[in-house]
Amino acid sequence: MAHETISQIWKRRSLIRTFAINDLVIRYKSSGLGVVWSLLEPLLMFGVLYVIFTNVFKSTVENYPLYLLLGIIMWSFFSRATTMGIGSIIGRAGIIKQIYFPREILPISSCVTALVMMGIEFGVFFAFVVVFQFLPPISILILPGLLFLLFCLSVGISLFLSVLNVKFRDIQSVWGVVMYAGFFISPVIYSLDTFPEELRRFLLINPVAQILEMAHNSVLYGTLPSLSSVAYTVGVTFGILILGYFTFRHYQFKMVEEL
Amino acid sequence: MSDNAIEVRSLCKTFKIDYNKSVSHTAEELNDKRYSSDKIEVLNDISFEVKKGEMFGIVGRNGIGKTTLLRIIAGIYKPDSGTVKVDGSLIPLLSLGTGFDIELDAKDNIIMYGKILGFSDKEIQQKILEILRFAELEKFANVKLKKFSTGMVMRLAFTTAMQIDPDIILVDEILGVGDVAFQKKSYDAFMSFRQKKKTIVYVSQDVNSINTLCNRAMLLNKGRIESIGSPSKVVNDYLGIFEKPKESIK
Repeated sequence: MAHETISQIWKRRSLIRTFAINDLVIRYKSSGLGVVWSLLEPLLMFGVLYVIFTNVFKSTVENYPLYLLLGIIMWSFFSRATTMGIGSIIGRAGIIKQIYFPREILPISSCVTALVMMGIEFGVFFAFVVVFQFLPPISILILPGLLFLLFCLSVGISLFLSVLNVKFRDIQSVWGVVMYAGFFISPVIYSLDTFPEELRRFLLINPVAQILEMAHNSVLYGTLPSLSSVAYTVGVTFGILILGYFTFRHYQFKMVEEL
Repeated sequence: MSDNAIEVRSLCKTFKIDYNKSVSHTAEELNDKRYSSDKIEVLNDISFEVKKGEMFGIVGRNGIGKTTLLRIIAGIYKPDSGTVKVDGSLIPLLSLGTGFDIELDAKDNIIMYGKILGFSDKEIQQKILEILRFAELEKFANVKLKKFSTGMVMRLAFTTAMQIDPDIILVDEILGVGDVAFQKKSYDAFMSFRQKKKTIVYVSQDVNSINTLCNRAMLLNKGRIESIGSPSKVVNDYLGIFEKPKESIK
């Protein structure tokens, strides 16, 4: 049963692409600067945070500009993917009540949209790498794997919450606050290294914090993540993905009646 | 399956209703067995079949479950019990245009719709021009749907579905879309669809069109099939519901 629907979704992957392209078209065509915003957004955010954290808080993180930008880009992806994903079912209520297609496609395509946007933003990051004449260590090669994990985590959360959000629309409001808080308790603007060990461990329960930490270490400092962090993060990510998938499956028909 | 396009067997569907949030009921409704404390039995043990090439009409009062039945046949809702078998590709035309994205232009909407219905890029590209031409919207291919009039959106939706050429369509009170010229055109499209031996399930309040267009018809009332068979008989039974004094409805 499960593998049947997964293969059904895979067969309809061109529909995922169509939805994702439509989202991007709507986003970029309706703004004056279009795709340039994708480059400006992380840059502006970076500018603000950089000024504050180098002047006011005196960050001592090595290669801080790159550290900060990488964190912003990855966090923005996670926040966008889940926020759009959670709203994806309600956002297309019309078509869901019109015609049948595997509804999982909607939250997944929202995450793909965010993934494409992150791809564009990584252009900014690599421009920074060149400008700062930074030579990335070989361990940067695990970055795609980490981004894949982050993507799976986003899909899992989106599946889980998008279907519940139909009945309990409070979820999307609460999620905004969770994302706001999450930004500050994840290693985006600061490093966890200077934290007391207990606090550090506590914050690393969050799988996104784990992924960000691993990304920073592998891209900037040439350190590969420990096996236990990898195992923990992979376990939590796929646990959430499976939970999200089955929750979605279980409630998807009830959800349509609530729309 | 052989010559049945749709087979519905012992179908039941109940909706939960939160009465605190919804309107209160009339005495008639409260006496009606379908309404229990917080549920409405919309469909109760419905069985029928639609033959291939048939135009099958469904009539019944508002809120009696006609659209729900179409949604179950289309796989949008799941029945509580019972089965539905569909043989062939099926397009539901439930409320025209609501599946479209008004932020996208006509062309992108056609592509999206075609994709949802399972067509490849190539197949859709071949049909786009034809669809725009038939809908008389060639000039508006790159105009966002939010700039369209209601009639234009409906024309586009109807044409997209018809040009995609499924084996079965489910039509929910949507004929008479667009202006007079387009009505004629869509009526012809409908007829040629029928001539191609395709199956149409047609829900309408317009008893005249049920009488003249359909091969067979069915009257839904109080969750059950009250009559099924020749359109003229079913339409008579339907009109009879409104004439009966209220006490005898039960």
